[in-house]
Amino acid sequence: MDISLLAFVHILVAAAVCWLNFIAIDLLFRLPASGGVVGATAIGKHIEAKGGALPGGIMMGNIVSSPDASAGTLLASCGVFIAGIPGGLLTALLVFIGNRICNDPGYAGTTGAISATFIVSAFTLIGFSPAEFIAGMVIAILTIQGISHRHSSRLLAYLWRARGG
Amino acid sequence: MNPQDTALAACAVIAVYAAIRVALEPDTLRKLPFLNVLSFAVAGSIALILPHPLSLVAAAAYFVGTTLESNAIASTYAGGLDRRE
Repeated sequence: MDISLLAFVHILVAAAVCWLNFIAIDLLFRLPASGGVVGATAIGKHIEAKGGALPGGIMMGNIVSSPDASAGTLLASCGVFIAGIPGGLLTALLVFIGNRICNDPGYAGTTGAISATFIVSAFTLIGFSPAEFIAGMVIAILTIQGISHRHSSRLLAYLWRARGG
Repeated sequence: MNPQDTALAACAVIAVYAAIRVALEPDTLRKLPFLNVLSFAVAGSIALILPHPLSLVAAAAYFVGTTLESNAIASTYAGGLDRRE
């Protein structure tokens, strides 16, 4: 297979893996339940006013307002790309500090960075490059925050109900 | 193209797309998720263009900084904290 086509396929697989990692951890840490700061709730309400679902909108507001598992996954991919597993764990520390700076009491970002460090490192053993996970995470966040807020917030609200609220 | 160049191209295209969406969205609070995508793409590009331990710190600092700005903008638009006694 052509090398750039192979990299393209790898990026799409990496996007799916990153998507599952950050959505699962954010739902586990109850991000759609309530806004961490008033701004997150306000973003949720504005998305709801445009035809979206409130729990999904609040989760999107929380992603905007503080480094969550998606930011942890992106920075851990950067860390593994530059310095291997120690680099990934260093970014977990930086995300932890970032959470405290943003007035966020949760551990979703730190957990996401640690889990992503090991997931990305495992995928490098089967021929993936950590660089593909950086692009994959950018595509994953694009699907949630950057295409249709109405549809992505409804999807997140559906997953939130499936988790049991 | 090697994987690094392909990943950088993907980040660059998404950054431009997100910038256009930010410019076209009229509602300030709904601009912020698009701005979040832009920050992801730029933070990823910093690490991809300059693979050095310090650029890792720079990417993290840039990302946390933009998140804090979005946090402050959103909270200000929402009325901010009520500090009246």
